[in-house]
Amino acid sequence: MDANQSSPPKLTRRNYSKIIRPIFGILVLGYILWRLYLVLIVEQAYSAEVWVRLLISGLIIGGVYALIAIGYTLVYGILFMINFAHGEVMMIGTFAGYFLFEITKGINVAGAGNPPLSFSDAYPFLSVILAFLVGMTVSATAGYFLEKIAYRPLRGAPRLIPLISAIGASFFLQNAAQLLFSPQVRDYANPQAIARGSGWNLMINESRIVITYTGVLTFVLSILLMIGLYVMVQKTKLGKAMRAVASDKKTAALMGIDVDAIISRTFIISGALAGAAGVMWGLHNGLVHFYVGFLPGIKAFTAAVLGGIGNIPGAMLGGMFLGLVESLGPTALGISFQLKDVIAFLIMIVILVFRPSGLLGEVLSEEKV
Amino acid sequence: MNKETIRTGSQKGLLFGIVMIFLVLINFHIMAATMISKVLGTNVLRGAFPEVRFMIIFLVIFGMWAGWSAVRREGSTTNKLFEGLIGGMTTGLVVALFGLILFFLLETQTDVRRYLTALSFASIDIFLLGLRGMGILTLFGLFTLTGVLGGALAVGLRSQAVANFIKKIKTSIRNLRQRITDSLPDNVKKYGKYIFYLLLLVLLLLLPARWGSYNNFVFGMVGIYVILGIGLNIMLGLSGQFMIGIAALFAMGAYSVALLNSPFPHGLMWGFWPSLAVGVVMAVIGGLLLGLPIMRLRGDYLGIVTLGFGEIIRILLNSDLLTDLTGGPRGIQNIQQPTFLGMPFNDVSYAYLIIIAMAVSIFLYYRIENSRTGRAWLSIKEDALVSQATGVDVQKYKLLALCVGAAFAGLAGGIFAARNQFTGPNDHTLMVSINVLSVVIVGGINSIPGIILGSFALRGLPELLRELETYRLLVFGALLVFMMIVRPEGLWPASRPDLEEKGNTGLKEDLDPEENEGRSDD
Amino acid sequence: MTEIIIEAVKVSKYFGGLKAVNEVDLQIPKGSIYSIIGPNGAGKTTLFNCISGFYIPETGDILYYGTPIQGMPTNFIASQGISRTYQNVRLFGNLTAMENVLIGLHNKLRSNWLDAIMHSPRFTRENSWSMEEAVSLLDFVGLKGYGDFLASNLPYGMQRRLEIARALANKPRLLLLDEPTAGMNIQETTDLTHFIQRLRDELEISIILIEHDMKVVMGISDRITVLDYGTKIAEGSPDEIQSNPRVIEAYLGPGGAALAEKYRSQRRKNNA
Repeated sequence: MDANQSSPPKLTRRNYSKIIRPIFGILVLGYILWRLYLVLIVEQAYSAEVWVRLLISGLIIGGVYALIAIGYTLVYGILFMINFAHGEVMMIGTFAGYFLFEITKGINVAGAGNPPLSFSDAYPFLSVILAFLVGMTVSATAGYFLEKIAYRPLRGAPRLIPLISAIGASFFLQNAAQLLFSPQVRDYANPQAIARGSGWNLMINESRIVITYTGVLTFVLSILLMIGLYVMVQKTKLGKAMRAVASDKKTAALMGIDVDAIISRTFIISGALAGAAGVMWGLHNGLVHFYVGFLPGIKAFTAAVLGGIGNIPGAMLGGMFLGLVESLGPTALGISFQLKDVIAFLIMIVILVFRPSGLLGEVLSEEKV
Repeated sequence: MNKETIRTGSQKGLLFGIVMIFLVLINFHIMAATMISKVLGTNVLRGAFPEVRFMIIFLVIFGMWAGWSAVRREGSTTNKLFEGLIGGMTTGLVVALFGLILFFLLETQTDVRRYLTALSFASIDIFLLGLRGMGILTLFGLFTLTGVLGGALAVGLRSQAVANFIKKIKTSIRNLRQRITDSLPDNVKKYGKYIFYLLLLVLLLLLPARWGSYNNFVFGMVGIYVILGIGLNIMLGLSGQFMIGIAALFAMGAYSVALLNSPFPHGLMWGFWPSLAVGVVMAVIGGLLLGLPIMRLRGDYLGIVTLGFGEIIRILLNSDLLTDLTGGPRGIQNIQQPTFLGMPFNDVSYAYLIIIAMAVSIFLYYRIENSRTGRAWLSIKEDALVSQATGVDVQKYKLLALCVGAAFAGLAGGIFAARNQFTGPNDHTLMVSINVLSVVIVGGINSIPGIILGSFALRGLPELLRELETYRLLVFGALLVFMMIVRPEGLWPASRPDLEEKGNTGLKEDLDPEENEGRSDD
Repeated sequence: MTEIIIEAVKVSKYFGGLKAVNEVDLQIPKGSIYSIIGPNGAGKTTLFNCISGFYIPETGDILYYGTPIQGMPTNFIASQGISRTYQNVRLFGNLTAMENVLIGLHNKLRSNWLDAIMHSPRFTRENSWSMEEAVSLLDFVGLKGYGDFLASNLPYGMQRRLEIARALANKPRLLLLDEPTAGMNIQETTDLTHFIQRLRDELEISIILIEHDMKVVMGISDRITVLDYGTKIAEGSPDEIQSNPRVIEAYLGPGGAALAEKYRSQRRKNNA
């Protein structure tokens, strides 16, 4: 060990990291503004009704994303794990709804002698409610067992371990659905009254915009579910327990909260929301197959991160935001619609670069010691 | 017999019953019976159904397993037998109820294949053992009987006598091994490690030429995943950056080699070797561009951003926007094959190339891991704040890790594209990133033998188990979950090196580097 | 007057509305052991974090040999010869004790990843030097033979000492010790006290100490500063601090001075 030399040190420093972010930001922002300027002011290629149409579709898809994103955020808030199989839970819900509609379609309620009339066409309201109930129940059950089998034994393991387990569960569920129901893409049998594409007509600039019934149903129901969830988390005893477990499992257990039961219920709730989203997805987009949950799952996770993962209003905001960006972005920036996901991901990256904990996420002090 | 006995038995029985129903619904029972039939020497033609006796063997095995697992560790022997009985009976009951439905479908000739694609009449018939109505009762009886048998087996094998016997065998094996090592001359012991490596080398040199192009293809893929796994491990395992977008860096290597070596779209024919170098450089640039803006992100935020990066690259490659540049969704065909000393490459030469690339990667990995750089990375992974306060330039080292890891990914990509003579957007999906992640974690993070084992287990085995074709991804998923529960540290967990001896030289010379050499910019 | 190694000039750090550190002045002479004491939540660790660069103070300057260093990255501050330990031991738990010390040596080495790949002369030279240096550091703190243990597997007292070894590897001119004796028994505390004195005497390191154990503080400190609610309420030699009424009040509450006087006179009587 050498003694210290007594000369005072020379102070020089390099700090390049602080320069890069602003440059990156200016580049991205500049590009976006330039494209917006080109599209909106120079070209004026699109009239108002195009924008309204895109806005509506963005809100609808955003509602679905938000519902799924809440599932990610709830689980993340409590277990700090990415429930990678959440998209598959939604897929299961979509299938459950599909089978319910197939069954109700198959029941003939017309009396003898009348032309055949299926149950779902005769009582569309009832069968839609049934479909949502069944979808939510089945997905909630799937979420419950998913947690019990794939995640519970891993409590306390390093964080990557449950993630891999979740990836495994996702593979398993996807392929189980494929083997059970075959890889074919099926049509969702909507009741006649809310057939896809039918809806209210809206005239803007003498051109017709259809506000579809399925779209309105999706949007309204997702908002209602979100409000319900928010009230539940804020007001009820279960919600309080969930928040307690989220902030500190050990202390919550000491206060007499059954942590395992709360975690189970969290998975049930997030599963139910995913199931509802799945049925909405089926009703609105009209397709169901074993892969149906994958992309919305990834997108919704992105939305959850965007809003600040672990934060429920953040997930709602993130979902809506992502839906709108995806829908409006390509047109607004004058880019091919093929690239809508690129825009969505890019916007997410830009936001995270400047707000590393998401839009509404708690800004963790980097210097926290 | 008490309440607990009934509860465990019926719970396990119910679980196994449901699993059985699931297996029948995905036609797994046919596959299992076919495999058993093949193992016992009766070949089954493709598309044909196995004989009923093999189905019975499958059901017996399954029933005994159910009975076995229904038996708890504690309790008296009678209790255990009862548990096996109840387990088997419950399974039998569930399966019989299911059989009743199947029988009903068969009798009324109701075709449900529109919804449950695997449930054909032939499949139902063979599950009911060809006995139709009687089959249901037979199934119930079978499961009850085998449940007891499984219970008895569990009681027998878990008994003290058997445990002692196993212990005795283990000791004798250990003694034998000890005796063999003792009898070996010292030289052999000293050079044993080298002899092992030499044998491995000979094996690696001989095998590719001998075992056919299919095996070369499969194990080439394993090798490519080893290189990718090493690259990811530098980012994830050493420097602790949660990277899910490695497929994008892989794609940069692959597309560089493809675009510089194919008649279409650019008609450039640079040759394989220079373009491989370009591929590695491109991947490093990609890693740098990805890393620069996101250095501040941590944990899952970093994960999702890298995932987004991977998706962006894939979508761009798939889009019309870049079709002129990168060939669009159809990818790039007819990639020119490399030559070495004027000889064109075939599957054997690719196997050698991959082996060499793998060896070089492993060598580089070990050298960097056991250095100042490697330790700086590890400290960042452990605690970035403290690491920085200890003097490590965290951002610089994180970027460096991304770049070095990206170089490996680019190398793997370049070889991959040339070997397939084709690359397209579908070679670089999110699944690739996830597979690499699984390889590293299942194998054992920071452990090279682990990564190799993981590649074999996750990439090699599924290809070799072609029998399982349709079920392999299902089994893969279930295995991932199972692995994480049973062995979360990986197949071959890493250990930290012993370093203290190296410093114990006793010669304390004045080797202060700061005085011996001027400072350089590193 | 000896040279001042580090000086805080009216340093303030706020968290929201809370003034964790409020216009604190400090002057630490070179080669001294300087203690900062105060009740829990007085802002001692926050002040440490300002000096070592974890926090950027809202106002004021931190002068190191007369040059401001506030706002510099922590690795830069470390490279200038300021090392620290942490209130809750923060070792790299999954690495061995040797590796922990080797990471502490990071600033003293120059070889980069290319050297490592090629095993260049610089790498070989530095590698053997750093190994020996690490072992001698472990020896210095009394951890010889524990080098290949995972840091998290060491007993608590050893972890504390390993953390000091890691800090010493940086060859600091100034060492910040945050409650080094927390959780130690009397024997360990005594050992550590001697150890800290050795650090100053043998290695000529200036030391700032946060400590709750008054026996340690009064025993080895050259000077003491007392913080309460983020403000400096007293500064002086151990004897001055012991009899300062404001300090006693901060620790014992209002009326504490009288209480302490009563207690002291009682003890005097007993002794006599």
